[in-house]
Amino acid sequence: MSSRQGLARPSLRLVSGKVPVSIRFGDQLIAVLPRLRRFARGLSGSVADADDLVQAACERALARQHQFQEGTRFDSWMFRIVQTIWIDQVRSRDVRKEGGDIAEDRLGSDEPVRRVEARLALDEVWRAVDHLPSDQRMALLLVTVEGLSYKEAAEVVQVPVGTIMSRLSRARIALQLQLEAGRGALRSTKDAAAQ
Amino acid sequence: MQQRSDDRLVAYLDGELETAQRREVEAWLDADPAARRQLAALAESAHLLRLAFDKVVHEPVPDRLIAAARGEKTPAQAGAQILPFRRRANAQVVISRRLWMGLPVAASLFGLLVGIGAAYLGVGKLVLDGEASKQTALEAVAANNVWLDNAAGYFKLVVSAGDNPPIDVPATGDPHEALQKISQKLPQEGRLPQLNLKPWGLDFRGARLVVAEGRPAAELVYTTDNKAIGPLTLIIGSSRQPDISPTFDRRQDVNLLYWRHQGRAYALVGQADIGYLWGIANDVAWQLDAI
Repeated sequence: MSSRQGLARPSLRLVSGKVPVSIRFGDQLIAVLPRLRRFARGLSGSVADADDLVQAACERALARQHQFQEGTRFDSWMFRIVQTIWIDQVRSRDVRKEGGDIAEDRLGSDEPVRRVEARLALDEVWRAVDHLPSDQRMALLLVTVEGLSYKEAAEVVQVPVGTIMSRLSRARIALQLQLEAGRGALRSTKDAAAQ
Repeated sequence: MQQRSDDRLVAYLDGELETAQRREVEAWLDADPAARRQLAALAESAHLLRLAFDKVVHEPVPDRLIAAARGEKTPAQAGAQILPFRRRANAQVVISRRLWMGLPVAASLFGLLVGIGAAYLGVGKLVLDGEASKQTALEAVAANNVWLDNAAGYFKLVVSAGDNPPIDVPATGDPHEALQKISQKLPQEGRLPQLNLKPWGLDFRGARLVVAEGRPAAELVYTTDNKAIGPLTLIIGSSRQPDISPTFDRRQDVNLLYWRHQGRAYALVGQADIGYLWGIANDVAWQLDAI
């Protein structure tokens, strides 16, 4: 298929006189953007912070594109850049709204949500993720949301596989308990409304 | 011990256990109803987690991120602002339908003429009216380049996704219904009329909301069995820029044919050859009264 072959050409060109971007590298970066946004949204908890994070990650990736090893997973490499920048940001300033209400822009979509209960359940998920310690949150996002294996997630976060396994387990249990608590609260609200 | 049990259950769900370990867990599950309930609860919470986060990957990617991925700076943040759709009352028709219909015939000649760096000479094609004359030609070209960069970026997302292109409204049954649904997400004056590209061998797969020229727009996704043509996208959005006649541009290996007419911006995007794009654009123009 000639069109796909065209995408794979590893030629270099100068885009807008700024950063020389290999065509293949640029294509890979654009293709992974939706998943980077999702990962960053889970880390930061807001649309604006997440997009700032992804933008910074793109800039860093372009500056270091020579460091990417062909034959390895591009998405894992980008997740690692995102998480590194995120950790740097957390260390330098408290950008996260710990324990607060869900930001209005959290879901970030103009899709109408038809079922209030479904929306509340999903809100509860965001809230539960928001309450997790950042190392557990990262493991949960990489494995359960992004579908990385434990080994791949361990390489992104640069910890042993066993550490990922235990962080993930704690995160999953906490998530489950939080969702059960949310359901209990919803039932109480409904009962009160019925009375 | 309980923590270790939970570790095992989670790893079992994630398919991370060796065969012997899996058998051990399965034996445990067979014997322990509480463990089975715990496994079901963990599976359900994981499902909800994926569901909650799945929305994010279907959102339109902001212009500034596509620009960043291409190594560019977004020239104006105003481009990301969503403004009310407004049709220009006294829009000029810069080319007659008759002439437009003759364009496919001259497609090969056109390809020859525009082949020499037409991408960076788009300013010469702009027909500036009183309103747009307030804007410098340089700004107009920059804005034009950004929206075309993004149109090419959106197309790349479709190509990269293969058989599952990112679509907000799939055209599963009646394609007109999908057009109607995506139209409902656009401002009143942006509603899309029916459009049929079946005669060109193109199947309408669905549509998604994107941003073009800083306003909500619809990206219609078409696929075909003809791999030489590949997928095509048609972006239709509102525009406050002056009308321009159909213009060819190129971003890397992506061809773009774009024009503006009476408050709407159109871009046909694909990797098919320019003659084919001209033919389709001509048909689109007839069907949508877009020229």
